[in-house]
Amino acid sequence: MLIIKDLHASIEGKEILKGVNLTVKPGEVHAIMGPNGSGKSTLSAVLTGNPAYTVTGGEVEFYGKNLLELSPEDRSHEGIFLSFQYPVEIPGVLMSNFMRTAINEKRKYQGLEPMSATDFLKLMREKRAIVDLDNKLASRAVNEGFSGGEKKRNEIFQMAMLEPRLSILDETDSGLDIDALRTVANGVNRLKSADNATIVITHYQRLLDYIKPDQVHVLYKGRIVMTGGPELALELEEKGYDWIKEQVD
Amino acid sequence: MGEFYSVALTRNYQMADTGTKMIHLGKNSRSTIVSKGISAGHSENSYRGMVRVAPNATNCRNYTQCDSLLLSDTSGAHTFPVIEVGNDSSIVEHEATTSKINEDQIFYCNQRGISTEDAVGLIVNGYARDVMKKLPMEFAVEAQRLLSVSLEGSVG
Repeated sequence: MLIIKDLHASIEGKEILKGVNLTVKPGEVHAIMGPNGSGKSTLSAVLTGNPAYTVTGGEVEFYGKNLLELSPEDRSHEGIFLSFQYPVEIPGVLMSNFMRTAINEKRKYQGLEPMSATDFLKLMREKRAIVDLDNKLASRAVNEGFSGGEKKRNEIFQMAMLEPRLSILDETDSGLDIDALRTVANGVNRLKSADNATIVITHYQRLLDYIKPDQVHVLYKGRIVMTGGPELALELEEKGYDWIKEQVD
Repeated sequence: MGEFYSVALTRNYQMADTGTKMIHLGKNSRSTIVSKGISAGHSENSYRGMVRVAPNATNCRNYTQCDSLLLSDTSGAHTFPVIEVGNDSSIVEHEATTSKINEDQIFYCNQRGISTEDAVGLIVNGYARDVMKKLPMEFAVEAQRLLSVSLEGSVG
């Protein structure tokens, strides 16, 4: 579904990604690990079309379409979802209103009629239960006054609502206690199917205890320098990144 | 008990100079002012507010909240509060904020499939919500549409 070829990207003239290659197939879970500043968050920003970054080379294909040509909102409509590392607060904008706009925009893109209010509320009730958010959610402003854990659960809730084909979880585990981590991970696992795929960006093996990856990649200095199975994450947890850095440098 | 709620939107090269006067003459009287300014394009939005408490009007209470939202780098917002209090048993409060729609908010909406124009509409309506929810329902719906229409093409 997703083929990244020799992707280069920079921010403010500084090159961060220096030739990333990655292929993701439906049903797979890929973990991307790596030391701070290796380009993990940049990769998620570039895939979702964040205008702060400039693509300077390479190709990204998503279900046969040239992803880099699409606007951020069309990428979303095509089924790419990013769970933000730092979810943004939008004061006064109610979650119900926000989600309804998002869903109906996607339906419009697919040539469907807007969803009725009853169906929407039913869907919202069903999906918020997946991450244990209560019925006040609909009438709260987007992430405003949410605790760190609630923000991350709210990301997974939105993911459940939009049913993406590819979900990118950018350090969804950061700032979560064990219980919240489990709730979030269970939510992600329940949404997993043979048709969708997940890219998990994380620093710690901890999250991967709950969300089992098929492949683990190490991103270092803007390149994927090593790929392995789940055992690679355990090895990294034990030995750190120094041995990889030595091999590469 | 006096209440004043306002939303003022300026765009292009408009200059708006709006505001209110709240004069307390009776003892123990109370008032609230909530003013929301939105500036787009090259516009300048000014709020002038006078709160006067007469010497005989003891134990009065006023709360003023004056918020400004900038939609562009070239727009401006100004607040000119005038407070005259004739006795020392009254309490007058003035709170002001200025904020700018930021790119992170827009991108967050984009990522969820909402276009930039719709995102700005949502964010502005969210910002004006405190005032909008005080309006009668029919008028609030109308006012919300008016805001969205007025914003068309004013973002960039």
